[in-house]
Amino acid sequence: MGPFTQSAGTAFRLIFSADREVFAAVWTSVSTAGWSTLIASLFGLPIGMAIGLSDFPLKRLTVILLNSLMAMPTVVLGLLIFGLLSRQGVLGVLGLLFTPKAIIVGQSLLAIPIIANYSLSAVRAADARILPTALTLGASTVQSFTQLTNEIRFGIMAAVIAGFGRVISEVGVAMMLGGNIRWYTRTMTTAIALETSKGEFAFGLALGIVLMLISFSINVGLSFMQEEQQP
Amino acid sequence: MRAPFYHLAGVEARYRDKTALMVDELALHGGQLNVVAGLNGCGKSTLLNVLAFLMQPTQGVVKFSGKRVRWDRAQLRELRQSVTLVHQEPFLFRGSVASNVSYGAKARGISGYALQERVRKSLELVGLSGFESRNANRLSGGEARRVALARALACDPEVILLDEPIAYVDELSTKIIESLLVASVDRGVLVVVSSHDPTLGVRLNARTIRLQQGRLVQDSEAQEMYAIQSPEGSVYAIL
Repeated sequence: MGPFTQSAGTAFRLIFSADREVFAAVWTSVSTAGWSTLIASLFGLPIGMAIGLSDFPLKRLTVILLNSLMAMPTVVLGLLIFGLLSRQGVLGVLGLLFTPKAIIVGQSLLAIPIIANYSLSAVRAADARILPTALTLGASTVQSFTQLTNEIRFGIMAAVIAGFGRVISEVGVAMMLGGNIRWYTRTMTTAIALETSKGEFAFGLALGIVLMLISFSINVGLSFMQEEQQP
Repeated sequence: MRAPFYHLAGVEARYRDKTALMVDELALHGGQLNVVAGLNGCGKSTLLNVLAFLMQPTQGVVKFSGKRVRWDRAQLRELRQSVTLVHQEPFLFRGSVASNVSYGAKARGISGYALQERVRKSLELVGLSGFESRNANRLSGGEARRVALARALACDPEVILLDEPIAYVDELSTKIIESLLVASVDRGVLVVVSSHDPTLGVRLNARTIRLQQGRLVQDSEAQEMYAIQSPEGSVYAIL
């Protein structure tokens, strides 16, 4: 049996025996990514929809900026927020650095442009007759926008899923702002990086398998949403 | 004849640099069937959008029921409750036929049994009884138009505006739509229909407003003979 097969066997044993350390890292990853996605959705969805529906002088530039922010390296984002949250930083007094909350802050900022961009695309792809139809049937502005959101709900869900997919698989923000503290801020990605560097390939592989399963499920969900969005 | 529902004076509408509509004066009354005729791009849809309060003219005054339209959000909501516009290719929302037909009535505060009855009656009027639970996005073109018309009728509006309602529609749907328009007029509703069809005005015994390059070039007024014949006192006009 080769070393890879041996490690894979150990990895599956760790998963199926519900190894506490593996599941602690999985839970930290899923919970921080969940909260980050929720917070990023609260900001990203209205931003994307507002840009998509309105017409203003710097719209093109704003869209370009939003696209560029999607490609923001996670380590750079982590570094910038680290500067804010460190003791000498403007927000140092909050004592957030190296806590799950710090990871949530960083991952939320990472996901906002992604969710905003996806929702902007959903609004752009929406049928131009939705709002006039709702308005001419006597709906209020709020009711009309609710109807529009309902019509593009699969695009909105795709935006949220894409945001979650991005933050659960990132390592830079979690490492720099969480500090990779065992049982506390260690996520799947930071644990994989650490354990592999320690030579604990099987442990890293076990987390890698879980992470891949989650990412794979997210992508299947995303493909399904995109197909549903087609007229 | 009663005071006009609409009175347009010196109205001009533009899309960027292009003037899409110029109307010196136009009055439209309740219980009147109007056909807006003209070639593609002559301003028919623009006129309907102005009448539906979806587009603010760049110049001029629009009055509805004697009140000047200010184009502010609060007034627009109120005005749009009186009017429905059925687009040339109507958009049906995702969901059932019933949820589509009930949409406008719900927005007007109708609920419960009264709402169900409106949906049922409106679908019956357009010959689609029993279609309530059907998926609205899986209907034929003609059925979709009739559902859109049922949705407009369920609002019980004072004004119904229709953009090319019988273009590319089968004979049965055409007959149903035309008879419903005439019936609505008999109930005192103001109906404005845009059409390419040069015979529609004559066929429906309607007042015809002809547009050319955005300008109102011809307007046939009421035919008195029909007004005497109609038991409801409705007034029709013919070109």
